[in-house]
Amino acid sequence: MQRNSLWVAVALALAAPLAQADDLKALREEVAQLKKSYEDRIAALEKRLADAEARPATTAASAPVVAGTGQVGAGSAFNPQISLILDGVYFHDNKGGGSTEMYEHIDGINHSHEHEGHAHGELERGFNLRETELAFSATVSPHFDATALMTVSRDGDVELEEAYFDTRSLPYGLKVRGGKFLSGIGYLNAQHPHQWDFVDQNLPYRTLLGEHGLVDTGLRLSWLPKTGNWFTQLGVEFLQGNEQTFASSGEEIADVRADGAPLAGTAAGELAGKKSGPRLTTVFAKFGPDLGINHALQFGGWYARSSQHQEVHDHSAENPVALVTALQGKGKAWGLDAVYKYDAGRYGGQGNVKLVGEYLRLNKDLKVAFHEGGTLVGTPFDFVQDGFVVQGTYGFLPYWQAGVRYDATGLTNKVDMPSGSPWKGNKSDRWTFALTRHIDHFSLLRLQASRGNLWVEGAKENANQIFLQYQHSLGAHGAHSF
Amino acid sequence: MKRLWLFLFLLVAAPAWALEVVATTSSMGMLARTVGGPRVKVTELAPPDRDAHMLQARPSMMRALRDAQLVVAVGAELEIGWLPAAMNGAANGAILPGRAGYFEAAAQVPLLDAGQAADRAQGDVHPAGNPHVNLDPARMATIAKALAERLAQLDAAHAADYRERAKGFAAAVEEKLPAWKQKTAGSGGAVLYHKDGAYLLHALGLTLHGMLEPVPGVAPTASHLEALAGKLRGRGGRQGVIVHTPYQPPAGAEKLAGLSGWKVAVLPIDPPAGADANAYFALIARWAEALAPSK
Repeated sequence: MQRNSLWVAVALALAAPLAQADDLKALREEVAQLKKSYEDRIAALEKRLADAEARPATTAASAPVVAGTGQVGAGSAFNPQISLILDGVYFHDNKGGGSTEMYEHIDGINHSHEHEGHAHGELERGFNLRETELAFSATVSPHFDATALMTVSRDGDVELEEAYFDTRSLPYGLKVRGGKFLSGIGYLNAQHPHQWDFVDQNLPYRTLLGEHGLVDTGLRLSWLPKTGNWFTQLGVEFLQGNEQTFASSGEEIADVRADGAPLAGTAAGELAGKKSGPRLTTVFAKFGPDLGINHALQFGGWYARSSQHQEVHDHSAENPVALVTALQGKGKAWGLDAVYKYDAGRYGGQGNVKLVGEYLRLNKDLKVAFHEGGTLVGTPFDFVQDGFVVQGTYGFLPYWQAGVRYDATGLTNKVDMPSGSPWKGNKSDRWTFALTRHIDHFSLLRLQASRGNLWVEGAKENANQIFLQYQHSLGAHGAHSF
Repeated sequence: MKRLWLFLFLLVAAPAWALEVVATTSSMGMLARTVGGPRVKVTELAPPDRDAHMLQARPSMMRALRDAQLVVAVGAELEIGWLPAAMNGAANGAILPGRAGYFEAAAQVPLLDAGQAADRAQGDVHPAGNPHVNLDPARMATIAKALAERLAQLDAAHAADYRERAKGFAAAVEEKLPAWKQKTAGSGGAVLYHKDGAYLLHALGLTLHGMLEPVPGVAPTASHLEALAGKLRGRGGRQGVIVHTPYQPPAGAEKLAGLSGWKVAVLPIDPPAGADANAYFALIARWAEALAPSK
């Protein structure tokens, strides 16, 4: 409407010489008015635009999120939060690809858990896709958080690594976790592979607790007492004791030996039935003094005890004269750990230092419950093995990290019985060097070389391994604990 | 004897008098102290000399959070890499998001750059908006008022004191803002390393010509700096300033300075640890001084 009148006015104005002076003046006024009205409207629109630019967040992007929790979250955040870790390595060794097998069979008091279904360390020379980690987490209600974490192997096998709830509203610094979870013992135990500073699991954890460390189903109660400037955390866990190296129940003796022969007629004894759970109890404590902004230190100690442990030894496949033996009793483990971190406060983690040391000791106090020869039933056997890991990383350039690790297992490595020690193992150890480049917050490349002096079946092996690893983290990337 | 009793009484009663506040940064600590006055005891987690994006959760943080009655965070995912882990480890239900004990500054004010696509090809973006609200004095005044309401909720007996102090802070901002604007009027604007000074430029009506980071969280690249220098040269007019914080590496800024002829200023984005409102205003004045047009 107004637009039309403007054009009319313009046309008339162009025709002005023909018009009379009065008309001309009136027209000029009209044009001036129209011009002013348009300028005002444009100015008003410009102001609105400027205002809108000044407060873009008054759009729906942040407001509804704020209303719920008093927290601004990602507008795209899902509930539950989902994260995916991709992990792959290029692998090479000096044993024709057999070095990972050697690491699985380091001389010690535990057998490798092949019956668990999948062997973890199995790598081919060349490119390997390692387990893909998929995690879901969410706040269930004002009272609970929950997390589920599964891994998918390169063959598509899915395994539930963790699935647990946490309480969030208990008073006095108390917290309960229930479900299947990584135990709070030690420092490295609760870390997932993507949090490791090295490609592979350290020797003491691998040989004493298993490739994943101690992960089991049960309940944890932890408490943060008020201890002035010191951080103190105390915890106790009641776990089922399923397929742990020192807490395994419900083992059965097959009627046929591994070599296919029937059990000898002299066989005597039997394994007790599975005790009701929880069969594994752990206690742990962590202490951290307040050393200011740049330094952080934490000490920890733990003890774990199983009320039932059973194992069946059948080596007849390799050695036809070996007699099937089953043992049962109790298992104990304890450890000490210390972590020191230096935060240089520089760009890209340059100058940061992290040192970790852990000592672990495992003891299985067993008696022969079944013996194919019948003679050993009731004989006590005492299994002891220990190990330690010391590792450090240093940020020598922004987003570049160098790491060194020395780990050893079997400093004490023996089986005792009243008449002496029927078996003694040697110490296996390893030096590892890693170079990590954090490409950004979500991706890293790592080059790792290690030289292991391993004792396998009583023979010494030098196993050299080289890894080139990539890791990508997709989706929600939660904060990492200390 | 009387004195002894008084001392013992204070010893027993004193902890109940002060509200335990944990602030994530020194800017948030400044706000908590300014609004809370003598009624709060403030612990700051992130020192101002380092990047609050990049901190790691540590036992001392968990210890501080264990006893906190109120957490004052910047929010909008600035502290996402460490605060959730530290709070999780602190086993203190009173300070979890959604409770009265959790206060997020960014949730109290409109944010710049909100609603960006959550596409990490664009770097470490915060789709909720730019979290670095602390350098905008006007937004900080709004946040102070919201914080006063939160403190009033936790400690109703002193509600009037909190509101009064927040009002005082807002009044001081209002009084000082014109001088800062005047100081920087006619400035050629700025290039920042990261978008952490964007709110102040916006508050002063100055142009942000670009960032040294090609995308957030990614170090400057030569091609990006050259493109940026081309843009600055092509613009003509007054020269602006290239600003980076003490913890951001200077190489990119120096290279751009060489290419464009602009000068470099190194400025922190948070006041010193334990700062009061005056120290915060001094920080803003420092920025205004650096951004002022060269005579």
